Amino acid sequence: MTDNENKEGIKGMANPGRYGIERVAYWLMRITGLGLLAYFIAHIYETSTILDGPSAWNAMLEMTQTTEGHIFLTLVIGMCVFHTANGIRLVFGHAGYGVGKPGRPDYPYPAKSLNMKGKACIYASIGLAALAMWYGISIMFGV
Amino acid sequence: MRESIVMKVHYGTALGAVALVIIHVLMRLTVDFHQSLTYEAVVANYQMLGYALLLELILILISVHGFNGLRVILLELRQGSGYEKGVTYGCIAGMVALIAYGSRTIIMTNMGMI
Repeated sequence: MTDNENKEGIKGMANPGRYGIERVAYWLMRITGLGLLAYFIAHIYETSTILDGPSAWNAMLEMTQTTEGHIFLTLVIGMCVFHTANGIRLVFGHAGYGVGKPGRPDYPYPAKSLNMKGKACIYASIGLAALAMWYGISIMFGV
Repeated sequence: MRESIVMKVHYGTALGAVALVIIHVLMRLTVDFHQSLTYEAVVANYQMLGYALLLELILILISVHGFNGLRVILLELRQGSGYEKGVTYGCIAGMVALIAYGSRTIIMTNMGMI
């Protein structure tokens, strides 16, 4: 192996296939966070049209009352629920709960913090997000 | 400010925002979803002082949390004294601008200046 092969840099850090579901959750947390910030800024702009009267408000509302608008809002619901549920997991983890006790570092040095409790919470966060998206679809599309 | 305190603020704003956004969403579901979004219904919501205060709190909490989250992501990608200062001040500026713009909507609608 050459030196260059051993220096993956940011690509190595970003590789979602490495470190299992925890790395996937790391990426989902950042992607959903950025998505929600973008949505929040757009939402603040969208609601400001109320100052321009009913016609401006209705015109803006019409943009969200389309199939594409509903699909977008469904994605926002999913991002919001995953970000919240996984965020609560992280708050507990940073406070020291659910990260396991320190143990003797034996080969292959499994990280105690990457345990089944954490994995179960990540899968539960994804499941909750899917359920909330389904509920959102049923409300918006009247299914 | 120490980074440990910033992260406590980050988590505090997150938990506060979750509680308040649940109330905000439930307000949409107390009546028919489409009915709750009519111009008259939304203006009536804004003109309730308690609800306007709730919206202002949500605006502040999510802006602080969102822009600090953006700062954390940007600082993970690259480090350096000038870069870190630029990112921090840029995020503070974005946060202040968003809070000011959103507050303008809430205050003007609440006071009937529409």
